Amino acid sequence: MKDLTQENTHDTTHGELHSELAGKFDTTAMATETTLLNPRFYTTDFDEMDRVDVTPVRKEWDALLAQMKSDPNKGHFKKTEAWDKVDWEGMDPALRTEFIDFLVSSCTAEFSGCVLYKEMKRRGTNADICELFNYMARDEARHAGFINDALREAGVAVNLGFLTKAKKYTYFRPKFIYYATYLSEKIGYARYITIYRHLEAHPEQRFHPIFKWFREWCNDEFSHGEAFALLMRTDPKLTTSFTNKLWIKFFLVAVYSTMWVRDHARKDFHNALGVDIDWYDQEVYRKTSAIARQVFPMEIDIDHKAWIPNLNRMNAAMIDMEKGKRKGGITGRIAHATASARAMLAFARLYLIPVIPSTPPANVRMEPTY
Amino acid sequence: MGIFTKAKEIVPCTVEVSHRFESLHAHVRFNNGAVVYPGDEVLVHGAPVLAAYGEVIVEDRTATITRATPIERWWTRATGDFGFMELCEFSFSEELLS
Repeated sequence: MKDLTQENTHDTTHGELHSELAGKFDTTAMATETTLLNPRFYTTDFDEMDRVDVTPVRKEWDALLAQMKSDPNKGHFKKTEAWDKVDWEGMDPALRTEFIDFLVSSCTAEFSGCVLYKEMKRRGTNADICELFNYMARDEARHAGFINDALREAGVAVNLGFLTKAKKYTYFRPKFIYYATYLSEKIGYARYITIYRHLEAHPEQRFHPIFKWFREWCNDEFSHGEAFALLMRTDPKLTTSFTNKLWIKFFLVAVYSTMWVRDHARKDFHNALGVDIDWYDQEVYRKTSAIARQVFPMEIDIDHKAWIPNLNRMNAAMIDMEKGKRKGGITGRIAHATASARAMLAFARLYLIPVIPSTPPANVRMEPTY
Repeated sequence: MGIFTKAKEIVPCTVEVSHRFESLHAHVRFNNGAVVYPGDEVLVHGAPVLAAYGEVIVEDRTATITRATPIERWWTRATGDFGFMELCEFSFSEELLS
């Protein structure tokens, strides 16, 4: 194993500090670009969160929290000899750009999760909830640190200077935190494990060592999702009322279609992995839907004949929106507006595809088995 | 507070920025127990808190909380939920065209 302490003292600082201190540090990996992390800050209805009572799922809750407390992944996020040297110089520039974008967006998501969870933990008074958010914030900060290290190797410095910029606090209703974070954690699990299994079968396409860490990594995402599944079980209305079902469907369609658009913008990245994007996304939806049966009363019909065509329409519309925005001026704005109407129409069509209803099982807990 | 005027509060706070391998995080805590509501804006005074790699910085600072107007508060409550996509790992980049 590498001597990390040694490496830390001899490595680069991030952008602004780097320019001030250049010469005082022995920078073995000069930062060539800086990326400013810019997470949102959140508030929610903390009184409502404080009133959550996990009694109906106490047994499963305690077991899950005990597992999180034992911190099974404590030793996992270390660079061992399995961390191969990465040839950043020799990497195809288009792939490098997309891969760094992948790392930055992953780091931002982990970081944002950490900010949200930490805020919940700090403002809440409900001991069960605070303990949960404390463990989740710990995991997210650890993941962010690990990705940050991979970025540093690539010469990309993350700037955390955002704290001294004016930050507006946004608002998530507690139930939206449950739906959205449940889904983002479970879909994160499905994405990581699908890539991991693919590369297990095709190791020659593993162009960066970080993918080797995905299996244990995504178990953290899985257990965070479990916690939100339990929270949703504490109040049956959250998954059974008419309005809430519409919201759940909205979140599913929004998250799935965003993922489709984002992944299709990273062609070189997926090519290098040898992953067909359509196949990959459908596979991730399939796994996510199968897992989400534990708590959601429905799944999206991803084999419906209108599903993929409308995802493609949405993607084309989003690309045209971006083109319009770049063009600017009146014609650009018109193009943007037309394309955004097309995107909304595609979204509406996706939303109107009938769902496949399901009945969540009596016992909500699941284990990661993919 | 009127409908269009904004109240400002200066509060003491503690910032913690960790730029370590084990943990990458940054938080701000209000030391007087001030509470931030939807739409409020927080500005931590002073130079950017720049933790070098491997460093954790904990510093006492002051911050200005600019309270949202009732309309802004209502708007943030009504629309804030739609920022949720940020939590998904595939959501961040603005670039669709390469």
